[in-house]
Amino acid sequence: MGHAGRLDVTAVMSPDTTQHQAPAKRRGKQIGLAFIAPFGLLFILVYIVPIVYAGYLSLFQEKLIGGNTFSGLANYTKLFQDAQFWHGVSRVFWFTLVQVPIMLLLAMALALALDSRRLHGAKFMRVSIFLPYAVPAVVSTLMWGFMLGVKYGLFGSLNNTLGTDLNPFAPGTTLISIGMMVTWAFTGFNMLIFYAVLKAVPRELYEAAALDGANEFQVVRRIKLPALRSSLVIAIIFSIIGTFQIFSEPQILPSMVANSGITTDYTPNLYAYNLAFAGSQQGYAAALALVMAAITIAVAYAVQIRGLRNAFED
Amino acid sequence: MRLRKKARLFSAALALMLVLGACSSGPAESGNNQVKLTVWSWDDTVAKAVPGFEAANPNIKVKVVNAGSSFDEYTALDNAIQAGSGVPDLAMFEYFAVPYFAIPGKLDDLGKLGAEDLKKDYAKAAWNDVTVGDKVYALPSDYGPSVMFYNKTTLKKAGVKKPPATWNEYYEDAKKVRALGGNHYIAQDTGDLFFLLSLIWQAGGRPFKVNGTKVHIDFTEPGTTKAVAFWQKMLDEGLLNTKVTAWSDDWNRTLNDGTLASQIMGGWLTSSLPQRAPKAAGDFRVALMPQWQRGDEVGAENGGSGFGIPAAAGHKDAAFKFLEYFTHGGGLSSRVDAGAFVPNTSVLASTDSQNKVNKYFGDQKVGPVLAHATKIVASGWQYPPFFEWARSAYGDLVSKFYTTGKGSLTGILEEWKQRMIKYGNEQGFEVD
Repeated sequence: MGHAGRLDVTAVMSPDTTQHQAPAKRRGKQIGLAFIAPFGLLFILVYIVPIVYAGYLSLFQEKLIGGNTFSGLANYTKLFQDAQFWHGVSRVFWFTLVQVPIMLLLAMALALALDSRRLHGAKFMRVSIFLPYAVPAVVSTLMWGFMLGVKYGLFGSLNNTLGTDLNPFAPGTTLISIGMMVTWAFTGFNMLIFYAVLKAVPRELYEAAALDGANEFQVVRRIKLPALRSSLVIAIIFSIIGTFQIFSEPQILPSMVANSGITTDYTPNLYAYNLAFAGSQQGYAAALALVMAAITIAVAYAVQIRGLRNAFED
Repeated sequence: MRLRKKARLFSAALALMLVLGACSSGPAESGNNQVKLTVWSWDDTVAKAVPGFEAANPNIKVKVVNAGSSFDEYTALDNAIQAGSGVPDLAMFEYFAVPYFAIPGKLDDLGKLGAEDLKKDYAKAAWNDVTVGDKVYALPSDYGPSVMFYNKTTLKKAGVKKPPATWNEYYEDAKKVRALGGNHYIAQDTGDLFFLLSLIWQAGGRPFKVNGTKVHIDFTEPGTTKAVAFWQKMLDEGLLNTKVTAWSDDWNRTLNDGTLASQIMGGWLTSSLPQRAPKAAGDFRVALMPQWQRGDEVGAENGGSGFGIPAAAGHKDAAFKFLEYFTHGGGLSSRVDAGAFVPNTSVLASTDSQNKVNKYFGDQKVGPVLAHATKIVASGWQYPPFFEWARSAYGDLVSKFYTTGKGSLTGILEEWKQRMIKYGNEQGFEVD
């Protein structure tokens, strides 16, 4: 039987391949593995290990009296009943729902304007709109804190001259101010994504449209906006991930302005930080971080599925 | 992105541990029995005592490290203890943080090293602050007797000739100051916990009763309710500036232009007020805080700190030697000269501190007032061992009240108590 088998193989393959193919394939595989090894190693080290470690931590409760004890899923059940956590989640959820559309519409409008070729100094504009993205959140928060501050900032002078009593950092308006900071920081980034996509649209399409007598608005509606669709999904996902993680702004603002309404559980990320470092509840904070990650992934995934389906239907 | 942030958090924590470990590697003794002490302190005056100490103890080298202030240092210390390396030989603690470290056994009992012999040199209340149960876990290094800083000029403008001696007078004077209009207030408040506690403290309330791992919380004692009701009245009648927070830029401004007529704070403000309000030079004076009963002399505390030796420290005997030196012995005077306000009876009673006039305070002799305020601090106050956490929880609750005006201080304290009970029990204490 073995003999027959060998015969079969040789009958199908040329002698050359029977001798060399298998080892070559294996060697190719090894080389391939060697190439991705540096990446794989780093990936495991900085992505997988921390997650596994967080998962491990989340199964323990650190107590001031009694030390570290294994608690199974107690941290998770506690989290699901933690009103402070869910307040924070709903806050970033609403924040996302309002801020992301505004920012993306703005970014899209700017990208279309840059792509229209009717602007002077388009390059300068492109860079200067993108620049805020390069400013660290800590610095930009300090900057906006000074500008929007009622006592010593721009709004202080504004209130003085107009005799008004506007306060961008009252409990009711703080979130709006944070939304503004975030929009300022990330509009340029999203604009660049959109702009790159628009650049990739074949110029022939525009020529054809011009020959057909389409005006600029029709070009935008029929060619440019459809082209932006799939990149819009990506931009939405990036933005959701970003806004769900808001941390620096609410972390820094309270030390700059009094009574801004920011509490230690203002956003889930801030809450996790405070649980871990002020409450020494590392295990609970780890559970929170993982649940929040799961929520973010779920929302982003839902958007992706919905968005891409729509994009393909058209 | 979420993951990256996590990774960053963990690597940051790791890096911190490594750095701290590098800063203070434990027993680094060389051939001739040299001991290297690491001291964590955010009090700059401690370093002033080092040269004298090293000269007197050639076999001990002292390195003073600023590992962050307050909360940051406690976190770093907790991490170092957990990691089992990089633990300093001496660390600074605010008084309220002493039980947090002492009760779980993270601090050494200084009694065995001879601390009890030093007791008589410290103001009673300060000694009480570093005592948990009947053991002493730190030596007091600076103190904050609650006193009243008042702007004489502003009060005069409002028609107040003498600083308020009772809380009733304070209330009446507050109305007069408010009548000046504009931004004139007798004081500011945006939910300063330590002020409220000092008010309760002075009125005789003792909301926290700590016995080992048992904590009893009660905000319904007569002393507590009296103090809280009084401050609620001040807030309700709009007699306090609730827009300006202490330590902010605005605060400096209002202190400078004289629109805030008084500050009831720890005596430590004496040294920083001249920098905060240089334009008000000559306007401010210091007095005892107003009393609940005319003729009484009861004080309270607002801040202060001491140094303790972590149980995991490497060189406890040498550490105690230095601790004794800069909080009681030969190094104390160099710190006092550098501006430290210490609760040592020997210093408070010295003719030097009694007779020195302070130019900023209109040539007032400030020393005797502070010394007297220290002597009359009421005893028996305790902080719960999870006060650091409780502080941030209070901040969350109170910010809503001060911004919306909805609710009451009593309601907040009750809610605060419930949160402390929940947290404390989760942390293995018995809290009720």
